[in-house]
Amino acid sequence: MSDNSVTSQELTKIFGHFRAVDTLNLNVKGGELFGLLGPNGAGKTTTVRMLCTLIEPSIGTASVAGYDIRRDAAAVRRSIGVVSEGVSLYKDLTIEENLKLLSTLYDIPRGRAENRIKELLEMFAFREKTRRLVGALSSGWAKKAMICAALLHDPKVLFLDEVTSGLDPQSAIALQDFTRNLCNQGVTVIWTTHYMTEPEKICDRVGVMFAGRLVQVGTPNELKHSVSELSLVEVETPDLSPTQLEKVRHKLNSINHVCKVKYADSKLQVSCERTETLAEEVASALLDAGARIRAINTRDPTLEEAFIAMTGGEEEIDRFLEGAGQKA
Amino acid sequence: MSVVFFLRDSIAVAENEFRQFRRNRSAILISLIILPFFFTASLGAGQGGAGTTFSATADIPIMFVDNDNSLASLRLLQTLTSSADFHSLIQSYNEQTAVAALGTKRTYAVIVVPKGFQNDLAIGRQARVILYTDDSEPGVSDQIESTLSTYVQNFNPNLEVQTFLTALQKQSISQVEIVRKGAIFAGFNVGLTIVLAVVQIFAGFYEIAGGMSREREEGTYARLLLTPIPIGSIVLGKTIFDLLLSVVRTFIVLGLSVYGYGARPNTDIVTLLALSLLVALVTMGLGFVASALKMGQRAVVIVEFFLILFLFAFSGLIIDKELLVGVSQVIANLLPFTYAFDALRRTVLLGRSLLSLTGDLQYMIGSCIVFYATAFILLLKSRERLIR
Repeated sequence: MSDNSVTSQELTKIFGHFRAVDTLNLNVKGGELFGLLGPNGAGKTTTVRMLCTLIEPSIGTASVAGYDIRRDAAAVRRSIGVVSEGVSLYKDLTIEENLKLLSTLYDIPRGRAENRIKELLEMFAFREKTRRLVGALSSGWAKKAMICAALLHDPKVLFLDEVTSGLDPQSAIALQDFTRNLCNQGVTVIWTTHYMTEPEKICDRVGVMFAGRLVQVGTPNELKHSVSELSLVEVETPDLSPTQLEKVRHKLNSINHVCKVKYADSKLQVSCERTETLAEEVASALLDAGARIRAINTRDPTLEEAFIAMTGGEEEIDRFLEGAGQKA
Repeated sequence: MSVVFFLRDSIAVAENEFRQFRRNRSAILISLIILPFFFTASLGAGQGGAGTTFSATADIPIMFVDNDNSLASLRLLQTLTSSADFHSLIQSYNEQTAVAALGTKRTYAVIVVPKGFQNDLAIGRQARVILYTDDSEPGVSDQIESTLSTYVQNFNPNLEVQTFLTALQKQSISQVEIVRKGAIFAGFNVGLTIVLAVVQIFAGFYEIAGGMSREREEGTYARLLLTPIPIGSIVLGKTIFDLLLSVVRTFIVLGLSVYGYGARPNTDIVTLLALSLLVALVTMGLGFVASALKMGQRAVVIVEFFLILFLFAFSGLIIDKELLVGVSQVIANLLPFTYAFDALRRTVLLGRSLLSLTGDLQYMIGSCIVFYATAFILLLKSRERLIR
């Protein structure tokens, strides 16, 4: 991995009185697959839009591929590829025509452009679909077309904003593999998503965004371990009646380190501050309440659970989402 | 070199507009068929029907009173009756009786050749033909006066027409100057000026403001903004494409007006085309301003509706600018389209050259520059508002 490819200093975007992105300091290395993780309204898309010069920051600045986003916006645009929900291709043109137009606008010599277009269309197996209008393509193919457009000019930095939403699982996996290969070839990828499982699988590092702030940055493992004080016990206990559940909850709540008890689909999930005796305490509470135990399991938190812990718990996230919904 | 790149990018944008246009049947239908054909045909049909040379005065009953009883007056009568514009000329022997018939719908005007008509012509003095009209029908009166003046002037250039307007039988006689504006010319010339301007305004605004808002809503404008091309290239590219469409539209309207409805524009094609494109450019500038204000496609339709209302009310399209009063006249004086209609009338109807219309042209070019500059600044400043 080479030098930092994307850096930001105090990057802030304010819409009216609302801070969509708040003093974001980011360092993404060249060839790195960096995930920006956060719920809807966390500020991921606004961050991407600032970095790809679509919108101007209110405070702070950033550099992408070595160019300042304020001073060298045109050079930044030449160095980046973007796949985002708000950025589309012309529906009344074929994918080939769209790519030809973009090759002119990116100043790619005709011969090279033709080869590159052919290469991309073959890579994504467009075949007879090259002559179909973009508007007539399915959402999966349309997304592939947008990825072709983003890769046309061999960008050094690729922004993939919620790129798997609307894709079937196979296409999503294929895209994740493809992106990984791109990074191996030296392309820096910033992958924003609100699906917690995606970055865990493919990203080198993940930045967790919440309420416009970058809460934590690290590898998926580092993030999980950063909340390693969390212990999780899952118990398969069928037919737990409300009375029994209440008894269990009461018993566990009397132990001061217990934080949360959830029961759904015959599974009781208990999470609390790390303790060696949690499994025994849960089992004892269940047996006291007359419940049956089919299986009991302790495990490390997932990235999603780590995310919830980092952002102040589910209530905090719900409150934030409610607020974001009202703003929208 | 950067100018070359700028132009190349602009042409690429224009080519892209063309490719999309060619695929979009409804755009072709609206821009090149419905708007030019609909407006021309509806106004043309209203003025006489397709394939005929229409005369507004041909079937209007008009009385002719010859008080001179001379060869000259007889020749004038023959000239009028043999023309295609006075099919319902009724000879009357009593001026008072004829004038008394005004306002009864039995006659709409009385042409009186006064005593001494031939003598005046013989000694080289200005002779007079008196025209009584029914001023409860001012449009008809104007039409009769203008048509008559054409024949009288052709009959003898020393003649002048004097109009005596009467409110029914009130003989408030006053000499009025012939105003060669409004529906005073034969054929479809007036219709041509209206149709040409309205079609360019309607289509230009729809294509630019509607097209930009569609690009914004579909996310293709953001795609363009992500490429290294400057906003100026986007604006210029769209303008080039729409100007080409405007040229096509001008020829459609002109062809239909001339060959379908008998318009005989009193000007050359270059002048007509230049004015038509200037109207289109002013409208496109306004369209870019509207699009920079983050107007949605629905809003564009509403604004277009109000724009047309404004045109009808304040730009001299229906009521001459000079006849408007108070705030209406102020608005008319501010609207660049008022000057566009004026310039089109002066050229198409009167045959004036572009050089004689510097005032109108300056205002239109100035408005165009102001609109484009405003749009450019707004588009630069409002990048983020224009992204979905």
